[in-house]
Amino acid sequence: MEQPVLELHGIEKRFPGVVALKGIDLEVRPHEILGLVGENGAGKSTLMKILVGLERPDAGEIRLRGRPVVLDGPEAAIRNGIGMVFQDGCMIRNLSVMDNLFLCHEDPFTRLGFLSPRKMAERARAELAAVGLSDLDPATQMSELSAARKQMVEVARLLWLSEHYGVENPILILDEPTTVLAEGEVKILFSILGELKKRASIVFISHRLEEVVQHSDRVVVLKDGEHVGTMERATPGAPVAEVPQVVQLMVGHELSAEHYRESMQAQPGAEVVLRVRGLGKGQAFRDFSLDLHAGEIVGLVGLLGSGKEDVCRCLTGAERPDRGSMEVLGKAVRFSSPKDAIAVGIGCVPIDRRNDGLATSLDVADNINLLVLRRLLAGPFLDPRRERESADRWVRECLIKTPSLRSLCGNLSGGNQQKVVIAKWLAAQVRVLILDHPTRGIDVGAKEELYARIRTLAASGMSLLIMCDTLEEDIGLSNRLVVMKDGSVVREIPCAARRKPTPVEVVSYVV
Amino acid sequence: MEAITARPGDRLDAIRKRFRRPLEIISRGVVGQVVALAIVFAIFTPGTGGTYLSIRNLQNILSLAGPPMIVCLGIHLVIVIGAMDLSTEGVISLVAVICGFLIKNTFTPYDIGFWVVPVAVAIGAVAGLAGGLLSTAARMPSFIATLGMWWVAQGLAVIIGRGNSVKMEDPRFQAVTNGETFGLPNTILIALALFLALWVLQTRTRFGRHMYAIGGDEALARQAGIRVARVKVLVFTLTGAIYGFAAILLSSRLATSNPRIGNGQLFPAMTAVAVGGVSLSGGVGGALNAVFGTLIVVALNDGMVLMNLSPYVQNAVNGIVLILAVALTIDRKKIGIIK
Repeated sequence: MEQPVLELHGIEKRFPGVVALKGIDLEVRPHEILGLVGENGAGKSTLMKILVGLERPDAGEIRLRGRPVVLDGPEAAIRNGIGMVFQDGCMIRNLSVMDNLFLCHEDPFTRLGFLSPRKMAERARAELAAVGLSDLDPATQMSELSAARKQMVEVARLLWLSEHYGVENPILILDEPTTVLAEGEVKILFSILGELKKRASIVFISHRLEEVVQHSDRVVVLKDGEHVGTMERATPGAPVAEVPQVVQLMVGHELSAEHYRESMQAQPGAEVVLRVRGLGKGQAFRDFSLDLHAGEIVGLVGLLGSGKEDVCRCLTGAERPDRGSMEVLGKAVRFSSPKDAIAVGIGCVPIDRRNDGLATSLDVADNINLLVLRRLLAGPFLDPRRERESADRWVRECLIKTPSLRSLCGNLSGGNQQKVVIAKWLAAQVRVLILDHPTRGIDVGAKEELYARIRTLAASGMSLLIMCDTLEEDIGLSNRLVVMKDGSVVREIPCAARRKPTPVEVVSYVV
Repeated sequence: MEAITARPGDRLDAIRKRFRRPLEIISRGVVGQVVALAIVFAIFTPGTGGTYLSIRNLQNILSLAGPPMIVCLGIHLVIVIGAMDLSTEGVISLVAVICGFLIKNTFTPYDIGFWVVPVAVAIGAVAGLAGGLLSTAARMPSFIATLGMWWVAQGLAVIIGRGNSVKMEDPRFQAVTNGETFGLPNTILIALALFLALWVLQTRTRFGRHMYAIGGDEALARQAGIRVARVKVLVFTLTGAIYGFAAILLSSRLATSNPRIGNGQLFPAMTAVAVGGVSLSGGVGGALNAVFGTLIVVALNDGMVLMNLSPYVQNAVNGIVLILAVALTIDRKKIGIIK
């Protein structure tokens, strides 16, 4: 067997409160397509960020072509022939294709300090042809390109850079390259990747498991920051493995039911708090209907881009749907801003707590009281005593650990910040709470507390719509799962206590 | 190997392709500005009974356009990288006062003649460098850093000049700035020479490419390996140097220098930047846009003066033009929260 281009040994990475990578071993061989799969939060992106120098590992060794290297920045990674095509792209929109291709490495086209656009265009045409873009004018502005073409321009840039730095067999990392592509484009992408394999190694990250097993030479599965399995293609042309096999490794063993406080799961009430009919918005999602009962927890499940995020943005008033209707407690509602949603009792715990959920520069009391200031007035002025009382009540109720009511929220731990966000909504007495990845970035102990809190909220009659980091969490917490795929609801799965479906059963509808 | 072709069914793409070149010129070039200029002429020519279109007035417009064009060419560089510079007036006044004492005058014995030009450029560059360092090394919003620099420089100008108006006694300066070559005012020729230099900088050098990359997306530019802070500081310095040059032109045209020379320079330059199509969100528009923007603003004001409009009406019109131009050119997608 050939010597691997890249070897990782015992890579560890900790973030405050979370261990993202627990000693990963991985190798990338020359001229292969390596599929990398794992659930959200399994550590794929952290690992890739380490490879392109955006993060530094806390422990472990990286060996490139047999020699240990330190990747202390994107520059170092590029010089060593490791490049990544990011999901959201990293091309500059207002520059032309050729400017982007050679950005910051223009020296071969510079004479006496002046660039030669003619030479740049000439070279750009050659590089673009190598990735199947021979018809693209290098002077085209980047913003005019389709997502597929942008991606291939990025690949062309990485290939050119490795050639420029004289690196043999560079490593190209593609993060979810197919999510932005139409079906035909996906086929073309893989035919190009198959061609590129002759001069590079490709690491291919995707949630679309069929694609991964079909097109990779090997597949590596990560789970909870660990490397849990590798599968290799046995016969040329055949898939690397069966999808269910991969899924089994991805979701792993069953957790104990009590982890999610299943004994506290109650039957939802009969009253429909939120009724949604035929909701749709542009290309994002269509025909979304839902009856959310009092005290019910519904898990909204789907891949990134399945439309579930857009549904939530419409339900919380952050975006306006094009079609469909919504009713809260039997009354038709229409939101033009989050303020309208709050007014009828719909709150949202957003995924990006520090930017969207909390005012981190305000203190605990101000955050909790943010939505109920009207109730704390004495005449035209805020009454400091009532402010204090209100905040104090919710701090005790939600078991928020804070040095004082006047401590800044930015200084609290992730778990306590999340409790402050929830306390804010409790103070506002909402009927429906949408939890967008509520346990993201929270340590294990705090997660358990949060699960218990979610149960008591439901028991008190609040309706919850949740989107979690892992399927296990969704299944464990919910009364019912609503599965979305490519913008439509594909299935509803009941999740009664003690009769929960397994993640493997659910995932087959998701992907 | 197959090529990635346009999405099946997307015939719009094919149509777009055919019309791309002309569309590109309209959206990125100055066709809109030429049209705006034509409209200004179409309004004022009949409005002034034809006086507006006389050779004398056209020359007048060009001669008036010289100094603000230079200021605008300076300020637009900072705006292209997505930053802001408000120090214009202070820096111009400071340079004018210092240089007033260095060429033949009634207050000091110095007389360095045309050597004052590099001195002025250097002083301006130092002021720009200070603003640039404040915004990059001290990580302050450039808009505040340069607002501070404005008042610092303005204060220094008054202290150094003790509030005096200094008469310049070297006639050569006036001869250059008020003279003509081939029927064209010298100031506009100087401004056009600067335009040419900056145009080459922007289109034909790595530095220019990097400016646009930073203006387009600073984070991605850094990721690509561009030394963002260095480019930004250099741009601020260059802008300051251009202010220094403009200061000499402005004071030698009046044959006096005083701490008020810079007054009223910022607003027309900023309007010209916006009217010319340089996006205040950065990354779009270049030296050519600055040139046309200035011509529009100057032509508009000249017309209003010829029509005897009240100065207050003129101010209000300029304000409306600025607001409209910014509204049309700013890229709101790029600015998450507008403050």
